[in-house]
Amino acid sequence: MSVETVPDTAVISYDAAQGAALAEEMRRDPTVFLMGQDVAMGGFFGGGRGLVEEFGLERVRNTGITEAFMVGAAAGAAMTGMRPVVQLGFADFSLIAGDEIFQKLGKWRHMHGGQFELPAVIIMPIGPSGGAGPEHSGSMEMLPMHFPGLKAVVPSNPADAKGLLKAAIRDPNPVLYYPSKQLNFKRGPVPSDPDLVIPLGQAAIARPGTTVSVISYGCMVPRVLEAAQALSAESIDLEVIDLRTLVPLDRDTILASVTKTGRAMIVHEAPRTAGPGAEIAALIQEHCFYALEAPVARLGAVDAPIPASRFLEDLCFPSVTDIVELARRLARA
Amino acid sequence: MTTVDRTELSVALFTTIARARAVEDALAVHIRDHGFAGYWHPGKGQEAAATGAAAALARDDYLFYQGRGVTWPLAKGMGLGPIIGDLLGKATGSTGGKGAGVPHWADASLGIMGEGASLGSVFHIAAGAALSAKMRGTSQVALADFGDGTSARGTFHETLLQASVWRLPLIYFCENNGISVSTRFEDVSPTKTIAERAAAYGVPGEVVDGHDALAVYDAVAKAVERARAGQGPTLIEATVTRVGGHWEGDAQQYRPADFLADYRDPLEIMRSRVDGDLADKIVAEARDEVAAALEEAEAAPYPDPTVILKDVFA
Repeated sequence: MSVETVPDTAVISYDAAQGAALAEEMRRDPTVFLMGQDVAMGGFFGGGRGLVEEFGLERVRNTGITEAFMVGAAAGAAMTGMRPVVQLGFADFSLIAGDEIFQKLGKWRHMHGGQFELPAVIIMPIGPSGGAGPEHSGSMEMLPMHFPGLKAVVPSNPADAKGLLKAAIRDPNPVLYYPSKQLNFKRGPVPSDPDLVIPLGQAAIARPGTTVSVISYGCMVPRVLEAAQALSAESIDLEVIDLRTLVPLDRDTILASVTKTGRAMIVHEAPRTAGPGAEIAALIQEHCFYALEAPVARLGAVDAPIPASRFLEDLCFPSVTDIVELARRLARA
Repeated sequence: MTTVDRTELSVALFTTIARARAVEDALAVHIRDHGFAGYWHPGKGQEAAATGAAAALARDDYLFYQGRGVTWPLAKGMGLGPIIGDLLGKATGSTGGKGAGVPHWADASLGIMGEGASLGSVFHIAAGAALSAKMRGTSQVALADFGDGTSARGTFHETLLQASVWRLPLIYFCENNGISVSTRFEDVSPTKTIAERAAAYGVPGEVVDGHDALAVYDAVAKAVERARAGQGPTLIEATVTRVGGHWEGDAQQYRPADFLADYRDPLEIMRSRVDGDLADKIVAEARDEVAAALEEAEAAPYPDPTVILKDVFA
């Protein structure tokens, strides 16, 4: 999908794009409803303002501080004919509802012989947001890659935020939707077509190139694109892959790109150790070993809790300079 | 309810208990002689609670049970074939052979919505089903079955709090057998009963003799009526007795000598309300049925190994 070719677009924020997706899906399907803490006032993130005015408190349900309840109730509602969307304020809180997310949403269908569908969406913002602190800055989108039964979405721009959330809501499976807090106020062109959905499991080539494949997603995509722009002056031509979903993972696009360029690096906001990059690096090594001109490289956050200090916070994540330097080293290897 | 209805109900309740007891007895022998595919938590002696509660539910009401014994799926209408098939891990089971021992019996068409085996994990799932019924405008209710042990879980509290505020058609149904594995209820509960906690959430709570299926039926029927009338959740605590160990083969060295003091056999309590000849006939039929179903399950194939990777996603 190319946003530029769709005539009817508006320039809106990433956050507002999510709100638009929610409103459109609630209008389209009366079984879609939203549940979470402070959702009636629009939520901390996710652009839910105006939803309660249009759909009322029956479909925009404020809960207490009850993460386990919200997700558990979503599981029960989903398996009995509704399409709940739960707004967890921060991805860190997914651990409070860990049993409900990983053991119930992810396993209920399988362990009961495939008798139930669980079309629930859990929205949980990831990453730092200017001093949110160690318990509110987690990027834990690698968890659904390891726990079978859950899909995982990480949009990198407003158009994808909308199209992927709509796909998540329409999917018959539980989907963990991880918006990046860093991108909340970023604006971009978003198609107005209410039926424009971005299929889960299809990566985008955010920038075609020939020298190094840079595989990324979420808030790191704009940084990678900035690095690619800087390197183009040196005749280093990065191919930037925006994964968009981690489960299902678009292996074909990754492997085709690396086979073409012979060089690969993965850039993400999650901690580097055992992050999504570790899995993707292993995948590339298994399938593209003889095409590789250099070892697969990874950039991720430090293996430390993210400090609340804004000064220290930014130092924890890959910068444009880090990306430029690593890509340059790979290109010359 | 008329006298005739009451008699018919007694026969129905007795039949369910007799069938559940026949499964329990046959399984104990089967496990002794053949071993078993999984962990089995016997429910002998606790049959009346599930029997009475399930009888008060309509076919399309939602049931979320916790796994002790076979009575819940049986009482909600599942056949012996899928029940025993799951117990032995055979393809004929309701899960297609994925369950075994502690099987996750389910049949959406009977409102048997499954089991969460991380205990205390169905309160909110049941509440979600109740919420769904309310939002879809049906008259369905959801019943969350749990034990005294799981009344300690945070999910017990979170869900009752929210379900009460939202007046969900939800029934908290506790089978309090006084012991979780080896830990006695009074050692881990500051309240003498679980039912009395309901008041803190603005919900009615009631203790009922769980050895008596008819008494349980009456209590649950009242709660169902409240739920359907939009008056919200009810907490019912049925006092029952865990006659056997936590699992089949449990040596129970922890069990206090006086533990069975309050036990009265639910089968005998219901038998006293049924005509003697009819009761004998029901018991004999149940034994025959179970023996045939067990034989059939033994002969049935194990699932094709491909089921492992099936149903991860819809």
